[in-house]
Amino acid sequence: MLRFLIERLLSLIFVLFAVSIIVFSIMHAVPGGPFDEDKGRLPPAAKANIMKKYGLDKPIYVQYFNYMKNAVRFDFGIPYQQPTTTVAALIKKTWFITMQVGVLTIILAFGLGITLGILAARYQNSWIDNVVTFGSTLGVTVPNFVVALWLILFFTVARQWLPMGGWSGNNSTCLIGNYFCSDWILPVFAYAIAPMAVIARYTRSSIIDVKRADYVRTARAKGLSDTVVMNKHVFRNAQIPMVTVLGTEIPNLITGSIFIESVFRINGLGKYFVSSVLNRDYPMIMAMFLLIAFLWGVTYLLTDLAYAWIDPRIKVGAKSA
Amino acid sequence: MTTTLPAEKVKARSFLQDATRRFFRNRLAIVGFSIVAIFLLIAIFAPLLAPFPYDKAYFDRARLFPLQHPEHLLGTDDLGRDYLSRLIFGARTSLMVAFFVQAIALLIGVPLGSLAGYFGGRIDFVITRIIDVMTAFPSLLFAILVSSVMSGGFFTVVVALSITSWIGIARLMRAQMLSLREQEYVNAARALGASQWRIITQHIMPNAISPLIVAVTFGIPATIFAEAGLSFLGFGVNDPIASWGKMVGVSSAYVRVYWHMALFPTLAIALTMLGFSFMGDGLRDALDPKQDM
Repeated sequence: MLRFLIERLLSLIFVLFAVSIIVFSIMHAVPGGPFDEDKGRLPPAAKANIMKKYGLDKPIYVQYFNYMKNAVRFDFGIPYQQPTTTVAALIKKTWFITMQVGVLTIILAFGLGITLGILAARYQNSWIDNVVTFGSTLGVTVPNFVVALWLILFFTVARQWLPMGGWSGNNSTCLIGNYFCSDWILPVFAYAIAPMAVIARYTRSSIIDVKRADYVRTARAKGLSDTVVMNKHVFRNAQIPMVTVLGTEIPNLITGSIFIESVFRINGLGKYFVSSVLNRDYPMIMAMFLLIAFLWGVTYLLTDLAYAWIDPRIKVGAKSA
Repeated sequence: MTTTLPAEKVKARSFLQDATRRFFRNRLAIVGFSIVAIFLLIAIFAPLLAPFPYDKAYFDRARLFPLQHPEHLLGTDDLGRDYLSRLIFGARTSLMVAFFVQAIALLIGVPLGSLAGYFGGRIDFVITRIIDVMTAFPSLLFAILVSSVMSGGFFTVVVALSITSWIGIARLMRAQMLSLREQEYVNAARALGASQWRIITQHIMPNAISPLIVAVTFGIPATIFAEAGLSFLGFGVNDPIASWGKMVGVSSAYVRVYWHMALFPTLAIALTMLGFSFMGDGLRDALDPKQDM
C-alpha cells in the first residue's frame, strides 16, 4: 500500500516535470513574445527594461530553471496581463468562479443522472427507459457549446425567460441572497447535460448487470424484500462503475469548460486560459497547465484508492497485466 | 451440436458478410450510416452543390434571414456570404480535418502501441511513460496552445489535434497485443516456427483490426468536435475557409436577433456527430464476433 502510494506520487512528479518542460518549450519555440510591437508600441529601451524585469532576456533554459525554482515554492510569478497581482492570486480568483459552476454542475449531473439511471433500470424496456437511453445518447454526443446555444436560442431569444449568462452573483438576478441566481441556470444546465448523460447510462447498465448476478437471485430466494435487495446488494455493487465516472468527470468539471465560460461570458479559469494564450502570458499558461495536470493525477490516484475502499476484492498496487 | 441439415443447405458466411448483416439489422446503425453517407456526399461534392462560392461576400446583403432574399435559402452571414454554401463547404472542412487527424493517429498510434504490447520490457516502459505524460495533458488546452503559437490555418489545426489524437489508438493497440500474443493460435504459429513478422501480420493484425475500425469511427466525430471547438474559440482555420465551429463562434455575438446564424451550424455539428456515433455503436456491435445473431 505504502509502496503503491510512493510509486504513484513519484510518477505524478515525473509527469508534472515533463508537462512543464513540454509547455515551456512550445511557448518559446517560435519567435514573438508577450511584449511585441503589435501589442502596443514600446520604445526599445523600455521594452528591454521590461524583458529584463521578467527575465525574458536570458537564455531559455535559464528562464526555465528560474521559473521552476520559484514554482516549487508555489511562487508562480506575475501575470503579464495584470501586473498588479500574482498568478496565484489571479488563479485563485478565477478558479473560485469556475468551481462554483463546477460544483453546481456536479450536484445537478449526479443528482439527476443517478435518478434517471435508476428509473431506467427499474422500469427496463419501458418508455421511461427508452427516453433515458435515447436522451443520454444525445447528451453524450452533442457538444456542450451547441447545447448552450440551443438553450440560449430557446430560453433567451425565443422566450425571454432567462438571462443569457454572466454569472454576476450579486445583482437583481439572484433569488435567495447570492445563492440562487437566474443567470446560473443556463450555464449549469448546458454544462451538466453531458456528464448527466454519462452517469445515467452507467447507472442504468451497472444496475441491470448486478440485478442479473447470482447473489441477487440468492438474496431474493431467501425471501428478502425488494427494497432490501436493492439497497443492500444491487446499489452497493453498482457503485464501482460510478467511481470510474466520478474519477473521469470531476477534474473536468472543476477545471471548467472553456466553451461554457466563453458562450455565457463567465470570467472563470477557462476564459482566462484563452486570454492568456492570446496574450502570450507565459506564467499564467504554465501555472494553468501544471494545475490541471496535478488535478488529473491526484484524481486518478484517488479513484484507484476508492475502488479498493468500495470493493475489498480489489487490491491496490496489484500488478495488472 | 450435431448438424442435421444436409451439408449443401448450410451456406457458409464469411465474417464480413456476417458483420454486414448484423450491422444492417440495427435500425439506429442504418440511421447513422445514412447521415454519414449524406455528410460524405455533401463534403465531396461541395463545389457542385453549393449555390455560391464559400468566400463570395455581398456586402450589401449582410445578415439576411432565411429566404429574405430569394437567392439565399438559409440567409447570409455577417459579411453577406451565402449561409447554405458555407454550411456545405463547412462539411468539407470537418471531413478533411477528421481524415488527416485520424490518418496521423493511426500512423503513430498503431506502430507505437504494437511495439509496446508485443515486445514489452524496456520498449513498453518508455512508450507507456510517453502515453502517461500525454494523458496528463488536457488535450483541448494543448491544442489551443499549439495552434496559437503556430501561424493558424488548416494544417495548424491538423497538427494541433494530431499531437494527442494517437494516444487512444496506441493504448488500444497495446492492450490488443498484450491479449492476442498469449492466444493459443499465436503460440501454435510460434511453435511451428513462424517469424515475428509473419505472426504480427498474419495472426495478430487481422484480429486487432475490428477494434481499430470502431476506434476510428468514434475518433472522427471527436475530431470534428475538436476542430469545431478550436474554430469556435477563434483558434481554428483561417477566415475565408468555412468551418461550422467558426460559424457558431461568430454567431454568438448576433444570437439575440439573427437566430439563423446560430441554429444551422449547431444543427449540422450535432447531426453529423450523432450520425457517426450511431454508426460507431452499430459497427461495434456488428464486429463483435462473440455476439450471437
